[in-house]
Amino acid sequence: MIRELIVNVLCSFSGTIAYSVLYNVPKKYYVCCGMTGAAGWLVYKALVQGISPAIASFFGTLVVVLISRMLTVRMKCPITIFLVSGIFPLVPGAGVYYTAYYLVTNQLSLAAMKGIESVKIAFAIVFGIVCIVSIPREVFQMGYWKQRRWRKG
Amino acid sequence: MKIRQITDNKKLYMDLLLLADPQENMIDAYLDQGEMFLLEENGEAKTVAVVMLYKNRKCELKNIATVETQQGKGYGKYMIHFLCEHYSSLCDMMYVGTGNTRKNIGFYEKCGFENSHIVIDYFVKNYREPIYDEGVRLTDMIYLKKRLESEVDVKKVVDLALEAGRILLKNGAEIFRVEETITRICHRFHVEHIDVFMLSHGIFVSAENGMEETYTKVKPIPLSASHLGIVAEVNALSREIEAGHMGIDEASEKLKEIDKMPSKNGYFQIVAAGIASGTFGYMLGATESESMMAFFIGCILYVWVLFSKKHGLSKMLVNIAGGVIITTLAICFRHLAHMEELRIDGMIIGGIMPLVPGLAFVNAIRDIADSDFLSGTVRMIDAILVFVYIAIGVGVTLSIYNNMIGGLLP
Repeated sequence: MIRELIVNVLCSFSGTIAYSVLYNVPKKYYVCCGMTGAAGWLVYKALVQGISPAIASFFGTLVVVLISRMLTVRMKCPITIFLVSGIFPLVPGAGVYYTAYYLVTNQLSLAAMKGIESVKIAFAIVFGIVCIVSIPREVFQMGYWKQRRWRKG
Repeated sequence: MKIRQITDNKKLYMDLLLLADPQENMIDAYLDQGEMFLLEENGEAKTVAVVMLYKNRKCELKNIATVETQQGKGYGKYMIHFLCEHYSSLCDMMYVGTGNTRKNIGFYEKCGFENSHIVIDYFVKNYREPIYDEGVRLTDMIYLKKRLESEVDVKKVVDLALEAGRILLKNGAEIFRVEETITRICHRFHVEHIDVFMLSHGIFVSAENGMEETYTKVKPIPLSASHLGIVAEVNALSREIEAGHMGIDEASEKLKEIDKMPSKNGYFQIVAAGIASGTFGYMLGATESESMMAFFIGCILYVWVLFSKKHGLSKMLVNIAGGVIITTLAICFRHLAHMEELRIDGMIIGGIMPLVPGLAFVNAIRDIADSDFLSGTVRMIDAILVFVYIAIGVGVTLSIYNNMIGGLLP
């Protein structure tokens, strides 16, 4: 169990970094990208045993976008950098590939099954992104919370 | 010589102002509303000027006066030069009214003013006592005007903004970021009326310069490889520009430099592709030995990807051939290594990872989330087609293997 956890963390961490290398992300963001990806994947992996992949992807996306937005404000760089690398483990790449593969090999019912599942996951990701992106920008800046506390006190 | 704006205690300089306009209540009428500037040298006030801003991008130089002993030393001229530059972003035309004397009109003409219009008997009606200058009684007010050349050229600004937008879009930024950057840069350089229309592969910008001239530019941008490092750099540059640290020329130089930023070292990319294949393969359910094989497949595959990038091969060819390469390698590994426990499927799913268009997919999803369905759909189709190409490559190779060679191999 613990071994599986560690391997998953390592894989998602290094996989995300490897992917961000392919997209020429600057070196200083590697660790942040890796952390974002690993966090999203862990949430997905933990939930997917109990509920459907789409809902698990939704929560994974929530975590990824949340972390990306916090990092964006801290590191003052475009959110795309963290978002693209971080969400990549959740993107139904394999699902879409299988859909296309079953289509090509004329296994239509399997293709339909995989295809609909991929579409569901894609929509779950859209929904997850919309949820977090709608939060106003100020919430992610340290000053906002300090000010609030001060106002309450 | 230093010029600063005076915002309070303007009456302190009344003595000077009276030199140019002898009646105090006339000065009071514009002193509060007008903007006052003072030219000082070695801490001594030399010249003072008051400018009124009007609507329609016009302004009037209400008063300009130099200390009597310091006249004819170019202070006034310097002040007018400064004012013209200062107001060029806010106004198109500056007016000045003066009495009909050769000295005054000559001075303004030297500063680039030309005749505008005359107000008959202005000095007779508005001033209690007759005013004499050069021994002649002043009656009519002569107005002169000067066209203020806007410091910034709208074309230049739009070109710069569009270039920034092109680089961003080409390298995989989201639609809204590109729009925001273009508007930001234009606003910084005082091009206020600007409209941007964006597609996933083209930008349309139209800007007005306030004189009812419109400048429109269209830029088609082919879908191509992305470089998020460049996106980050351009973003940082646009922040710099917005903060006012950078002029237009400097910014466009910098932009050219950023555009030429190289990709990561090839070997580094190949190893990264291998790692992506191996780790994602494992996460998607491949066994450890299959992941190891996927690592090698990913590396070899990326050599092909880099090769095709260098020669500008079409996307279709790259991905179909990519699928063929992955499958062939997987089959080879299984049979040559005599490891029957290796599933071809597990190696393939890891191997395709470097080809997966993650960025296009995420951007498509984000565009759709922003309700930009046109760009979102185009990018989504771009992404899905890549999968179809890969699947064709894999499918064809596998069916050849199963139907023809499969029976022959042990």
